[in-house]
Amino acid sequence: MNTPHGVGIGWRPEISGFVAELPGLRFVEVIAESVPTTGPPPDDLVELRNRGVTVVPHGVRLSLGGAEPVDPARVAHLAAVAQLVAAPLVSEHIAFVRAGGLEAGHLLPLPRTREAVAAICANIVRAQADLPVPIALEPIAALFDWPDDELDEAAFLTEILDRTSALLLLDIANVYANARNRGTDPLALLDRLPLERVAYLHVAGGAERGGFYHDTHTDPIGREVLELLTELCARHRPPAALLERDGHYPPAAELRTELDAVAVACGFPAVT
Amino acid sequence: MTTPGTGPDGPAGGAAESLASRQAELVAALVADGPPPAGFAPGPLAAARAALLRKRAGEVARHWPLLAAGLGPAWPAAFVEWAAGRPTGGGLRDGWDLARALHARTALPALGAEELAAREAEFRYDGHRAPRRRRSPALGRVGGAIAVQIAGRVRLLRPARP
Repeated sequence: MNTPHGVGIGWRPEISGFVAELPGLRFVEVIAESVPTTGPPPDDLVELRNRGVTVVPHGVRLSLGGAEPVDPARVAHLAAVAQLVAAPLVSEHIAFVRAGGLEAGHLLPLPRTREAVAAICANIVRAQADLPVPIALEPIAALFDWPDDELDEAAFLTEILDRTSALLLLDIANVYANARNRGTDPLALLDRLPLERVAYLHVAGGAERGGFYHDTHTDPIGREVLELLTELCARHRPPAALLERDGHYPPAAELRTELDAVAVACGFPAVT
Repeated sequence: MTTPGTGPDGPAGGAAESLASRQAELVAALVADGPPPAGFAPGPLAAARAALLRKRAGEVARHWPLLAAGLGPAWPAAFVEWAAGRPTGGGLRDGWDLARALHARTALPALGAEELAAREAEFRYDGHRAPRRRRSPALGRVGGAIAVQIAGRVRLLRPARP
């Protein structure tokens, strides 16, 4: 079974033709909730699998950080997608997306409290029991912090990983966004994270708006994010890095340039 | 909207509030015009609320590309004005509700009317529960646009009046 390695890209229906023609591609992610499990997976994904490309289901709606127990039906779907695409691992977020019967519509940060650590660890363990493969957890970009925080981010994340033996999906753009919006040093966080547990990285573009840096996935990757990626890989290079783009898809040449820039920053072979 | 007191200590317990009630209070403040939860900085929370609406607008536009295209540069503002304080029912339903609301005040662009007519022909939607695919042939009429659905295939018979 092939764990992710090299430069990957988030597979989306809008760019499936572009992705199919990347000659060196070994690794993609697919949004788990977008894959139906009642029939065969999308043809383009099947073709990628037939070429030996690793497909990692990336969940966005499990709400592992919710105070209530994770929905077994959602875990079952993630597990089914993992089996459908013969994934070596799945990934989800350290976040919650619903509470009190309302959908937030996006990933929301947890309070960095011991109570929240206990809640999310319980849900991760529940999910792990029903998943056929390991799970990697992604810390999110947050525009706000809770007033309840007891732990700093490094302590909070390390505690969760230690208690669940989960892998880390480190989004370097999220690290950049959080540090910039909080006025903290992103390198100081990287120095305290267990980089040897990173299964793969995420890289994405963002934009400044109203005094905040937004992790939009619809803008080009900024120079600062690429520099941080280079710094990270100089400290400890994870096995793979994946470009996430979720809209305002640029011409193919621009996407290829971004993939090449990620490859150069990490020291990986180009996939274009 | 008031905060559901799902925790053992209830929402009024100050420091003793449970994680569940704090999370519910936060989501309600972000998407349902709930009161701002205690202790959060208002600026970042407002930025998060706006970012959630923009993300939702993008999702609705994926389900309703013609509606969004018909509104053109006015789309983001039109969506945000309608959606603020209104929790999401998912991209399909949000766009449907918005299209119907615009149609009711004759502000639905022609492209949106054609898209809505096609959806009305394809699905049965009562405005409350998830739309269900129609089993029998049906017409959808919106603002002059007429769409027909037979055996699951939808065709526009007549374009909307521009």
